[in-house]
Amino acid sequence: MSHVRRAAAGALAALALALALARAAAAQLPLEPGGVTQLPAQPGAHWVWVNDFSFFALPDGKAFLVDGDSGKMLGLLSTGYSFDSLVVPRRGGVIYSPETYFSRGTRGTRTDVVTIYDTVHLAALGEVKIPPKRASMMAMMAGQVLTDDERFLLIYNYTPAQSVTVVDTRARKFVGEIDTAGCALVYPTGPRSFFSLCGDGSLLVVTLNEQGRAASRTRTKELFDGLKDPLTEKGVRAGDTWLFASFEGALHPLKITRGGGIEAQPTWALFSAAELAQHWRTGGLQHLALHAASGRLYAIVHRGGPETHKDPGADVWVWDLASRRKVQQISARNKVASIQVTQDAKPLLFGCSFESNRLDVYDVASGRYLRSVEGLGITPGLLVTP
Amino acid sequence: MSVRAPGAAAALLAAAASCAAAPPALTPKPQADYMLNCQGCHLPDGTGAAGKVPSLRTSLAPLARSAAGRRYLVQVPGAAQSALSDAELAQVLNWMVRNLSARPPPQFREFTAPEVGRYRASPLVAVRATRARLLGDAP
Amino acid sequence: MRNPVDGLMERWARDMARRVSRRRFLGSVGALLFGAATLPLLPVARGETPRPAAGGATDPGDPQTCEYWRHCAIDGFLCSCCGGSVQSCPPGTEASAVTWVGTCHNPGDGHDYIVSYNDCCGKTECGRCLCNRNEDDKPLYMPFKSNDYNWCVGSKVGIAYHCSTARIVGVAK
Repeated sequence: MSHVRRAAAGALAALALALALARAAAAQLPLEPGGVTQLPAQPGAHWVWVNDFSFFALPDGKAFLVDGDSGKMLGLLSTGYSFDSLVVPRRGGVIYSPETYFSRGTRGTRTDVVTIYDTVHLAALGEVKIPPKRASMMAMMAGQVLTDDERFLLIYNYTPAQSVTVVDTRARKFVGEIDTAGCALVYPTGPRSFFSLCGDGSLLVVTLNEQGRAASRTRTKELFDGLKDPLTEKGVRAGDTWLFASFEGALHPLKITRGGGIEAQPTWALFSAAELAQHWRTGGLQHLALHAASGRLYAIVHRGGPETHKDPGADVWVWDLASRRKVQQISARNKVASIQVTQDAKPLLFGCSFESNRLDVYDVASGRYLRSVEGLGITPGLLVTP
Repeated sequence: MSVRAPGAAAALLAAAASCAAAPPALTPKPQADYMLNCQGCHLPDGTGAAGKVPSLRTSLAPLARSAAGRRYLVQVPGAAQSALSDAELAQVLNWMVRNLSARPPPQFREFTAPEVGRYRASPLVAVRATRARLLGDAP
Repeated sequence: MRNPVDGLMERWARDMARRVSRRRFLGSVGALLFGAATLPLLPVARGETPRPAAGGATDPGDPQTCEYWRHCAIDGFLCSCCGGSVQSCPPGTEASAVTWVGTCHNPGDGHDYIVSYNDCCGKTECGRCLCNRNEDDKPLYMPFKSNDYNWCVGSKVGIAYHCSTARIVGVAK
């Protein structure tokens, strides 16, 4: 009997081995071909671009694309020296990025370009060379904007002479430079018009012809007092009205009139007398945000003395624009210097500060802190939702 | 020949070097106003930066000779939009013509506050083009 | 015009606690420049050893700190921490002539000095001793009072910003 048992044992062993080998073969991970991730053609409703002006490494400007829901980084654009912000057209498909490069990193020949990136591959499709004059300054949304029909890209130059570069995005060509001496930055008001803020408290209203050249330049009368309580440069647009907070927290509505003109509407106080007595004020870098559908204005606020208008804050207050009443107070987990809100029906509030490289995400309706996304560059500045 | 820093600043450096306890000489007001409002771009001696900031050294005196030139000197945004009053701006302009011109003009009709106020009332938009026309340069 | 001096001491004292932290946030890219080519008397232009700041009772404080009285409206990295000084650019950088100029109160002798914040340019940021104080600062549309511009625009080597000096150029009061 023993030889049968031995044979059986041998057969069992052979079977076990065969089974083990078969299992091992089935469990083996497949080989992978590799590839490059692509983004969907349509951006997510809760996506945000975090523009890093990289103050400790100015040659290395960049922008991070982040999904606010998952907290994941989706991609990055590498955007050169003294980077301000991407310009993301509503129609999608491409992103415009005014960029500056030196032939030897921090010296040599300076070249300024508008790089055109596609939104699916985040790859450069091409570039338009522009005069090497784009303003190198604290990151400002109003440094580069599209006209309302997104045909022309306008870029503020400072050498220290002040002018505006016009790029035709359809032809992908530099059109020309408009002399805007005495006035700064660009705020679009229509398909062929914009204004700049001038040092004497007036506005320079510029209209363009079909080719993108200046058709008219007009200075308004003085609309604000630049010495007593200046407007910050950090306005947001609610439909046909630009809203600017002053250093002391007065809200200045500037309404667009027919033909691209502008008129100042009466200012109103964001803060009550009691709040002012406690030194509440707006502050930060990108300190205002707007949710268009609900007509709500969001502002970073803090308690501080005069000249703290650039200070980050740990609170975001919300006003209903129609009634001008404060309707919500959101307590931020971390101080923020920039905020942005998504424009959908269940909006998220994003906040970041150049004191860290973290993006904080809040649910707007409840004011609840949701999550943070760490490691977003060196000095995250402006937030742009696609 | 070296270009001298404005007199008061040089005096200050000398004073500081020699005797720390001596009170510093006050910079004369028109010069201090020039420093605070104009010097940043036009530089202490008015030479500016080629291609970016116009030099004042050869343009001030000729411009001050004509009504159109005088109007430009007041309306140029750096002057008109400065935080100086009309009287202060007049004083600064007078100081500039006398101290920054490569060849100070032998005759120079000083700016007055009322004159400055008149020009300042209407802002100048076509700044580059006006300057080019007045000085006969390409813009 | 402005009131940079009145209340400056008060504001300065109030702000001091806020400014002590080395992790101070940025405000803007400050600019202090003076042209080597246009002011050949200055030590930088001549290549002489820069004269140190007077120090002592009439020039109190440490130039490597944000609280130093001359830094009342500075915005950027202090050249004193970067191989330069309040009046001299670090080796190999280029002083930019175009800048902005303000006044600061000197508690040592009670005078208000006119301070020229010239930037040193042509290299990447020094990255040390970041200091931002916004006393009497104005928005970008008033450039002569704005510390939010990169004032290396006036430099011949381009806009690469390295650090900021704080040079006395006059006496206001």
